[in-house]
Amino acid sequence: MIEIDEKDLIRCPICEAVNINKGKTNICRRCGTHIYKHHKFRTEKSWAYLITAIIAYIPANLYPMLITSQFGHREGSTILGGVILLWEHQSYPIALVIFFASIMIPILKFLILIYLLISVKYPLGKDKKINKHKLYYFTEIIGPWSMIDVFVVAILAALIHMNNIQIIAGTAATAFALSVFFTLLAAHAFDEQLI
Amino acid sequence: MKIENEDELDKIIICPKCYSIHQEVPIKDGSKALCSHCNAVLYRYDSNLAKNGLALSLTALIFFVLANMFPLIKVDILGIEQYLTIPKTFLVLFDSGFFIVGFFAMFLIFVFPLLLILLYTVLFFILYLKLAKPLSKQLLILISHIEPWSMAEIFLVSILVSLVKLIGYAQIHIGVSFWALAAYVILDIYITRHIHISEIWMLRNRIYEDDRN
Repeated sequence: MIEIDEKDLIRCPICEAVNINKGKTNICRRCGTHIYKHHKFRTEKSWAYLITAIIAYIPANLYPMLITSQFGHREGSTILGGVILLWEHQSYPIALVIFFASIMIPILKFLILIYLLISVKYPLGKDKKINKHKLYYFTEIIGPWSMIDVFVVAILAALIHMNNIQIIAGTAATAFALSVFFTLLAAHAFDEQLI
Repeated sequence: MKIENEDELDKIIICPKCYSIHQEVPIKDGSKALCSHCNAVLYRYDSNLAKNGLALSLTALIFFVLANMFPLIKVDILGIEQYLTIPKTFLVLFDSGFFIVGFFAMFLIFVFPLLLILLYTVLFFILYLKLAKPLSKQLLILISHIEPWSMAEIFLVSILVSLVKLIGYAQIHIGVSFWALAAYVILDIYITRHIHISEIWMLRNRIYEDDRN
Protein backbone atom coordinates (compact mmCIF):
# COMPACT_ATOMS: atom_id res chain seq x y z
CA MET A 1 0.00 0.00 0.00
CA ILE A 2 1.34 3.41 -0.91
CA GLU A 3 -0.32 6.55 0.35
CA ILE A 4 -0.13 9.38 -2.17
CA ASP A 5 -1.25 12.95 -2.32
CA GLU A 6 -3.00 14.04 -5.51
CA LYS A 7 -0.65 17.01 -5.70
CA ASP A 8 2.31 14.66 -6.03
CA LEU A 9 1.06 13.16 -9.26
CA ILE A 10 2.99 14.33 -12.30
CA ARG A 11 2.66 13.53 -15.96
CA CYS A 12 5.65 12.43 -17.98
CA PRO A 13 6.04 14.97 -20.81
CA ILE A 14 7.14 12.25 -23.23
CA CYS A 15 4.81 9.28 -22.72
CA GLU A 16 2.10 10.96 -20.62
CA ALA A 17 2.29 8.26 -17.94
CA VAL A 18 1.30 9.38 -14.45
CA ASN A 19 4.18 9.27 -11.98
CA ILE A 20 4.65 10.06 -8.31
CA ASN A 21 6.81 13.09 -7.68
CA LYS A 22 9.70 11.76 -5.60
CA GLY A 23 11.53 15.04 -5.21
CA LYS A 24 15.06 15.19 -6.59
CA THR A 25 15.20 13.01 -9.67
CA ASN A 26 12.13 11.59 -11.26
CA ILE A 27 12.56 8.87 -13.81
CA CYS A 28 9.40 7.92 -15.65
CA ARG A 29 8.39 4.39 -14.69
CA ARG A 30 7.11 3.64 -18.19
CA CYS A 31 9.52 5.19 -20.68
CA GLY A 32 12.55 5.87 -18.47
CA THR A 33 12.86 9.56 -19.38
CA HIS A 34 14.17 11.96 -16.78
CA ILE A 35 11.33 14.24 -15.80
CA TYR A 36 12.65 17.73 -15.12
CA LYS A 37 16.22 17.06 -14.18
CA HIS A 38 17.13 20.61 -13.24
CA HIS A 39 15.34 20.85 -9.99
CA LYS A 40 17.09 23.87 -8.57
CA PHE A 41 16.65 26.10 -11.59
CA ARG A 42 13.36 24.97 -13.00
CA THR A 43 12.30 28.10 -14.82
CA GLU A 44 15.70 29.43 -15.87
CA LYS A 45 16.06 27.18 -18.91
CA SER A 46 12.74 28.39 -20.22
CA TRP A 47 13.66 32.01 -19.46
CA ALA A 48 16.93 31.65 -21.36
CA TYR A 49 15.22 30.34 -24.48
CA LEU A 50 12.49 32.96 -24.23
CA ILE A 51 14.93 35.87 -23.95
CA THR A 52 16.88 34.54 -26.94
CA ALA A 53 13.64 34.37 -28.89
CA ILE A 54 12.69 37.94 -27.98
CA ILE A 55 16.14 39.21 -28.99
CA ALA A 56 15.87 37.40 -32.34
CA TYR A 57 12.42 38.87 -32.87
CA ILE A 58 13.82 42.43 -33.02
CA PRO A 59 15.95 42.04 -36.20
CA ALA A 60 13.13 39.91 -37.62
CA ASN A 61 10.97 43.02 -37.66
CA LEU A 62 13.60 45.54 -38.69
CA TYR A 63 15.25 43.78 -41.63
CA PRO A 64 13.46 42.92 -44.87
CA MET A 65 11.75 39.54 -44.95
CA LEU A 66 11.38 39.42 -48.70
CA ILE A 67 13.47 41.09 -51.39
CA THR A 68 11.88 41.54 -54.79
CA SER A 69 14.33 42.15 -57.56
CA GLN A 70 12.86 43.36 -60.85
CA PHE A 71 15.22 44.09 -63.73
CA GLY A 72 18.05 44.78 -61.31
CA HIS A 73 15.95 47.02 -59.09
CA ARG A 74 15.80 45.61 -55.55
CA GLU A 75 13.08 46.31 -53.09
CA GLY A 76 12.79 44.81 -49.62
CA SER A 77 9.71 44.55 -47.45
CA THR A 78 9.57 43.90 -43.72
CA ILE A 79 6.93 41.75 -42.02
CA LEU A 80 4.76 44.72 -41.07
CA GLY A 81 5.38 46.36 -44.45
CA GLY A 82 4.22 43.19 -46.17
CA VAL A 83 1.03 43.11 -44.13
CA ILE A 84 0.28 46.77 -44.90
CA LEU A 85 0.98 46.21 -48.60
CA LEU A 86 -1.42 43.24 -48.70
CA TRP A 87 -4.05 45.28 -46.88
CA GLU A 88 -3.72 48.09 -49.42
CA HIS A 89 -4.06 45.59 -52.25
CA GLN A 90 -7.29 44.48 -50.62
CA SER A 91 -6.23 40.92 -49.90
CA TYR A 92 -7.69 41.21 -46.42
CA PRO A 93 -7.81 37.50 -45.49
CA ILE A 94 -4.14 36.95 -46.36
CA ALA A 95 -3.14 40.18 -44.62
CA LEU A 96 -4.93 38.93 -41.52
CA VAL A 97 -3.35 35.46 -41.73
CA ILE A 98 0.15 36.94 -41.99
CA PHE A 99 -0.63 39.49 -39.28
CA PHE A 100 -1.83 36.79 -36.90
CA ALA A 101 0.94 34.32 -37.70
CA SER A 102 3.90 36.68 -37.70
CA ILE A 103 2.94 39.45 -35.30
CA MET A 104 0.07 38.43 -33.03
CA ILE A 105 1.06 34.83 -32.23
CA PRO A 106 4.75 35.48 -31.39
CA ILE A 107 3.93 38.49 -29.20
CA LEU A 108 1.01 36.72 -27.54
CA LYS A 109 3.25 33.74 -26.88
CA PHE A 110 6.01 35.89 -25.38
CA LEU A 111 3.49 37.58 -23.09
CA ILE A 112 1.80 34.34 -22.00
CA LEU A 113 5.13 32.65 -21.28
CA ILE A 114 6.43 35.67 -19.37
CA TYR A 115 3.21 35.73 -17.36
CA LEU A 116 3.37 31.99 -16.64
CA LEU A 117 7.06 32.07 -15.74
CA ILE A 118 6.61 34.99 -13.36
CA SER A 119 3.42 33.67 -11.85
CA VAL A 120 4.96 30.32 -10.85
CA LYS A 121 7.57 32.07 -8.74
CA TYR A 122 5.64 35.07 -7.47
CA PRO A 123 1.94 34.44 -7.01
CA LEU A 124 0.53 37.42 -8.82
CA GLY A 125 -3.04 37.52 -9.90
CA LYS A 126 -5.70 35.22 -8.58
CA ASP A 127 -6.08 33.16 -11.70
CA LYS A 128 -7.21 29.63 -11.14
CA LYS A 129 -4.66 26.91 -11.85
CA ILE A 130 -6.95 25.35 -14.41
CA ASN A 131 -6.93 28.56 -16.47
CA LYS A 132 -3.14 28.67 -16.47
CA HIS A 133 -2.99 25.08 -17.67
CA LYS A 134 -5.40 25.96 -20.45
CA LEU A 135 -3.28 29.00 -21.33
CA TYR A 136 -0.18 26.82 -21.57
CA TYR A 137 -2.04 24.29 -23.71
CA PHE A 138 -3.12 27.17 -25.97
CA THR A 139 0.47 28.39 -26.48
CA GLU A 140 1.56 24.85 -27.35
CA ILE A 141 -1.15 24.63 -30.00
CA ILE A 142 -0.69 28.02 -31.67
CA GLY A 143 3.11 28.16 -31.42
CA PRO A 144 4.22 26.41 -34.62
CA TRP A 145 1.81 28.39 -36.80
CA SER A 146 4.12 31.40 -36.77
CA MET A 147 6.33 29.46 -39.17
CA ILE A 148 3.84 30.30 -41.97
CA ASP A 149 5.68 33.45 -43.00
CA VAL A 150 9.05 31.71 -43.22
CA PHE A 151 7.57 28.96 -45.39
CA VAL A 152 5.79 31.50 -47.59
CA VAL A 153 9.10 33.27 -48.21
CA ALA A 154 10.77 29.94 -49.01
CA ILE A 155 7.97 28.98 -51.42
CA LEU A 156 7.99 32.34 -53.20
CA ALA A 157 11.79 32.25 -53.46
CA ALA A 158 11.64 28.74 -54.93
CA LEU A 159 8.87 29.64 -57.40
CA ILE A 160 10.06 32.98 -58.64
CA HIS A 161 13.64 33.03 -59.68
CA MET A 162 14.05 34.08 -63.28
CA ASN A 163 16.64 36.24 -64.92
CA ASN A 164 14.62 39.41 -64.73
CA ILE A 165 12.33 38.91 -61.78
CA GLN A 166 13.47 37.28 -58.59
CA ILE A 167 12.26 36.93 -55.07
CA ILE A 168 14.99 36.39 -52.51
CA ALA A 169 14.64 35.67 -48.82
CA GLY A 170 15.84 38.49 -46.58
CA THR A 171 17.85 38.60 -43.37
CA ALA A 172 14.67 38.73 -41.31
CA ALA A 173 13.72 35.22 -42.46
CA THR A 174 16.68 33.76 -40.56
CA ALA A 175 16.02 35.90 -37.49
CA PHE A 176 12.32 35.06 -37.52
CA ALA A 177 12.90 31.32 -37.95
CA LEU A 178 15.33 31.38 -35.02
CA SER A 179 12.86 33.37 -32.94
CA VAL A 180 10.07 30.85 -33.55
CA PHE A 181 12.46 27.96 -32.89
CA PHE A 182 13.52 29.36 -29.52
CA THR A 183 9.95 30.19 -28.49
CA LEU A 184 9.01 26.58 -29.18
CA LEU A 185 11.98 25.41 -27.10
CA ALA A 186 10.98 27.79 -24.29
CA ALA A 187 7.46 26.38 -24.25
CA HIS A 188 8.75 22.80 -24.24
CA ALA A 189 11.21 23.57 -21.43
CA PHE A 190 8.47 25.02 -19.26
CA ASP A 191 7.58 22.64 -16.47
CA GLU A 192 3.80 22.40 -16.40
CA GLN A 193 3.99 20.81 -12.98
CA LEU A 194 5.02 24.18 -11.46
CA ILE A 195 1.71 25.88 -12.16
CA MET B 1 -5.58 8.47 -2.34
CA LYS B 2 -4.24 4.96 -1.75
CA ILE B 3 -2.83 2.55 -4.29
CA GLU B 4 -1.46 -0.98 -4.13
CA ASN B 5 1.65 -0.49 -6.25
CA GLU B 6 3.02 1.84 -8.88
CA ASP B 7 1.44 -0.08 -11.75
CA GLU B 8 -1.94 1.10 -10.58
CA LEU B 9 -0.92 4.61 -11.62
CA ASP B 10 -1.77 3.47 -15.14
CA LYS B 11 -5.40 3.75 -14.12
CA ILE B 12 -4.99 7.45 -13.35
CA ILE B 13 -5.18 9.99 -16.13
CA ILE B 14 -4.16 13.63 -16.06
CA CYS B 15 -6.09 15.79 -18.50
CA PRO B 16 -3.78 17.02 -21.30
CA LYS B 17 -5.51 20.39 -21.38
CA CYS B 18 -6.27 21.38 -17.79
CA TYR B 19 -4.15 18.96 -15.74
CA SER B 20 -7.03 17.72 -13.58
CA ILE B 21 -6.85 14.16 -12.27
CA HIS B 22 -9.19 11.39 -13.37
CA GLN B 23 -9.60 7.68 -12.80
CA GLU B 24 -9.73 5.50 -15.87
CA VAL B 25 -13.06 3.75 -16.34
CA PRO B 26 -13.83 0.99 -18.83
CA ILE B 27 -15.75 2.38 -21.82
CA LYS B 28 -17.50 0.86 -24.79
CA ASP B 29 -15.63 0.01 -27.96
CA GLY B 30 -15.48 3.03 -30.23
CA SER B 31 -16.43 5.58 -27.57
CA LYS B 32 -14.37 8.22 -25.80
CA ALA B 33 -13.92 9.57 -22.29
CA LEU B 34 -14.09 13.33 -21.76
CA CYS B 35 -12.61 15.52 -19.02
CA SER B 36 -15.29 16.66 -16.59
CA HIS B 37 -13.70 20.11 -16.23
CA CYS B 38 -12.82 21.20 -19.74
CA ASN B 39 -14.38 18.61 -22.07
CA ALA B 40 -11.05 17.65 -23.63
CA VAL B 41 -10.81 14.06 -24.84
CA LEU B 42 -8.97 11.94 -22.25
CA TYR B 43 -8.81 8.66 -24.13
CA ARG B 44 -10.67 6.56 -26.64
CA TYR B 45 -11.13 2.84 -26.72
CA ASP B 46 -10.78 1.20 -30.09
CA SER B 47 -10.25 -2.55 -30.21
CA ASN B 48 -8.91 -2.30 -33.77
CA LEU B 49 -6.44 0.48 -33.07
CA ALA B 50 -3.37 -1.39 -34.29
CA LYS B 51 -5.07 -2.49 -37.49
CA ASN B 52 -6.58 0.92 -38.24
CA GLY B 53 -3.37 2.69 -37.33
CA LEU B 54 -1.36 0.48 -39.65
CA ALA B 55 -3.76 1.08 -42.54
CA LEU B 56 -3.80 4.83 -41.97
CA SER B 57 -0.06 5.23 -41.60
CA LEU B 58 0.66 3.12 -44.68
CA THR B 59 -1.75 5.28 -46.69
CA ALA B 60 -0.14 8.42 -45.32
CA LEU B 61 3.29 7.08 -46.28
CA ILE B 62 2.17 6.45 -49.86
CA PHE B 63 0.67 9.93 -50.10
CA PHE B 64 3.85 11.48 -48.73
CA VAL B 65 5.96 9.71 -51.34
CA LEU B 66 3.54 10.92 -54.04
CA ALA B 67 3.70 14.45 -52.64
CA ASN B 68 7.45 14.43 -53.21
CA MET B 69 7.45 12.93 -56.68
CA PHE B 70 5.55 15.52 -58.70
CA PRO B 71 5.31 19.32 -58.68
CA LEU B 72 3.05 20.80 -56.01
CA ILE B 73 2.19 23.84 -58.06
CA LYS B 74 3.20 25.31 -61.39
CA VAL B 75 3.16 29.01 -62.14
CA ASP B 76 3.31 30.72 -65.46
CA ILE B 77 4.87 34.18 -65.41
CA LEU B 78 5.37 36.05 -68.67
CA GLY B 79 5.44 32.73 -70.52
CA ILE B 80 8.08 31.19 -68.29
CA GLU B 81 6.94 28.16 -66.33
CA GLN B 82 8.24 27.48 -62.86
CA TYR B 83 7.31 24.67 -60.52
CA LEU B 84 7.56 23.90 -56.84
CA THR B 85 8.35 20.62 -55.09
CA ILE B 86 8.95 19.99 -51.41
CA PRO B 87 12.72 19.39 -51.77
CA LYS B 88 13.05 22.40 -54.07
CA THR B 89 11.67 24.66 -51.34
CA PHE B 90 14.69 24.17 -49.12
CA LEU B 91 17.27 23.49 -51.84
CA VAL B 92 16.70 26.98 -53.25
CA LEU B 93 17.30 28.41 -49.78
CA PHE B 94 20.61 26.53 -49.61
CA ASP B 95 21.53 27.84 -53.05
CA SER B 96 20.99 31.43 -52.01
CA GLY B 97 23.04 30.99 -48.85
CA PHE B 98 20.26 30.81 -46.26
CA PHE B 99 21.59 27.76 -44.48
CA ILE B 100 19.78 28.22 -41.15
CA VAL B 101 16.34 28.72 -42.69
CA GLY B 102 17.19 26.00 -45.21
CA PHE B 103 17.98 23.52 -42.45
CA PHE B 104 14.84 24.45 -40.54
CA ALA B 105 12.70 24.01 -43.63
CA MET B 106 14.41 20.73 -44.55
CA PHE B 107 13.78 19.19 -41.15
CA LEU B 108 10.32 20.68 -40.48
CA ILE B 109 8.67 19.92 -43.82
CA PHE B 110 10.62 16.95 -45.13
CA VAL B 111 12.76 14.95 -42.70
CA PHE B 112 10.50 14.98 -39.65
CA PRO B 113 7.19 14.31 -41.43
CA LEU B 114 8.78 11.42 -43.33
CA LEU B 115 10.46 10.00 -40.23
CA LEU B 116 7.30 10.37 -38.18
CA ILE B 117 5.13 8.48 -40.62
CA LEU B 118 7.79 5.77 -41.05
CA LEU B 119 8.04 5.32 -37.29
CA TYR B 120 4.25 5.12 -36.96
CA THR B 121 4.07 2.51 -39.72
CA VAL B 122 6.73 0.33 -38.11
CA LEU B 123 5.17 0.82 -34.66
CA PHE B 124 1.66 -0.17 -35.70
CA PHE B 125 3.08 -3.05 -37.70
CA ILE B 126 4.88 -4.60 -34.74
CA LEU B 127 1.93 -3.90 -32.44
CA TYR B 128 -0.38 -5.58 -34.93
CA LEU B 129 1.86 -8.66 -35.05
CA LYS B 130 2.52 -8.46 -31.28
CA LEU B 131 6.27 -8.50 -31.78
CA ALA B 132 9.30 -6.82 -30.26
CA LYS B 133 8.20 -5.27 -26.98
CA PRO B 134 11.40 -3.23 -26.31
CA LEU B 135 11.45 -1.83 -29.84
CA SER B 136 7.89 -0.54 -29.60
CA LYS B 137 8.85 1.37 -26.45
CA GLN B 138 11.82 3.02 -28.19
CA LEU B 139 9.65 3.91 -31.18
CA LEU B 140 6.99 5.50 -28.97
CA ILE B 141 9.60 7.62 -27.16
CA LEU B 142 11.14 8.71 -30.46
CA ILE B 143 7.72 9.61 -31.87
CA SER B 144 6.97 11.83 -28.87
CA HIS B 145 10.24 13.67 -29.41
CA ILE B 146 9.73 14.24 -33.13
CA GLU B 147 6.01 14.96 -33.22
CA PRO B 148 6.05 18.64 -32.17
CA TRP B 149 8.56 19.38 -34.93
CA SER B 150 6.65 18.00 -37.87
CA MET B 151 5.01 20.92 -39.66
CA ALA B 152 3.59 19.55 -42.92
CA GLU B 153 0.16 21.06 -42.17
CA ILE B 154 1.67 24.50 -41.70
CA PHE B 155 3.54 24.10 -44.98
CA LEU B 156 0.26 23.28 -46.73
CA VAL B 157 -1.37 26.45 -45.42
CA SER B 158 1.76 28.39 -46.45
CA ILE B 159 1.36 27.12 -50.01
CA LEU B 160 -2.21 28.44 -50.07
CA VAL B 161 -1.11 31.80 -48.67
CA SER B 162 1.64 32.17 -51.26
CA LEU B 163 -0.76 31.20 -54.05
CA VAL B 164 -3.11 34.01 -53.05
CA LYS B 165 -0.14 36.37 -53.00
CA LEU B 166 0.68 35.36 -56.58
CA ILE B 167 -2.83 35.85 -57.95
CA GLY B 168 -2.70 38.58 -60.53
CA TYR B 169 1.00 38.17 -61.24
CA ALA B 170 0.99 34.65 -62.57
CA GLN B 171 -1.15 31.86 -63.91
CA ILE B 172 -1.35 29.11 -61.33
CA HIS B 173 -1.76 25.40 -61.95
CA ILE B 174 -2.20 23.10 -58.99
CA GLY B 175 -0.28 19.86 -59.38
CA VAL B 176 -1.01 16.26 -58.40
CA SER B 177 1.33 16.44 -55.46
CA PHE B 178 -0.63 19.25 -53.88
CA TRP B 179 -3.62 16.95 -53.43
CA ALA B 180 -1.34 14.15 -52.25
CA LEU B 181 0.14 16.51 -49.66
CA ALA B 182 -3.35 17.58 -48.58
CA ALA B 183 -4.34 13.93 -48.14
CA TYR B 184 -1.13 13.28 -46.21
CA VAL B 185 -1.82 16.24 -43.91
CA ILE B 186 -5.35 15.05 -43.12
CA LEU B 187 -4.10 11.55 -42.30
CA ASP B 188 -1.16 12.95 -40.33
CA ILE B 189 -3.48 15.11 -38.23
CA TYR B 190 -5.72 12.11 -37.63
CA ILE B 191 -2.83 9.88 -36.59
CA THR B 192 -1.00 12.38 -34.41
CA ARG B 193 -3.91 14.35 -32.89
CA HIS B 194 -6.93 12.04 -32.92
CA ILE B 195 -5.00 9.00 -31.71
CA HIS B 196 -3.35 10.14 -28.48
CA ILE B 197 0.11 8.82 -27.78
CA SER B 198 -1.19 7.59 -24.39
CA GLU B 199 -3.78 5.43 -26.16
CA ILE B 200 -0.98 3.64 -28.00
CA TRP B 201 0.80 3.09 -24.69
CA MET B 202 -2.46 1.65 -23.29
CA LEU B 203 -2.76 -0.57 -26.35
CA ARG B 204 0.82 -1.72 -25.87
CA ASN B 205 0.09 -2.59 -22.23
CA ARG B 206 -2.98 -4.60 -23.26
CA ILE B 207 -1.18 -6.48 -26.01
CA TYR B 208 1.76 -7.63 -23.96
CA GLU B 209 -0.39 -8.36 -20.90
CA ASP B 210 -2.47 -10.76 -22.99
CA ASP B 211 0.74 -12.42 -24.04
CA ARG B 212 1.78 -13.15 -20.49
CA ASN B 213 -1.50 -14.83 -19.55
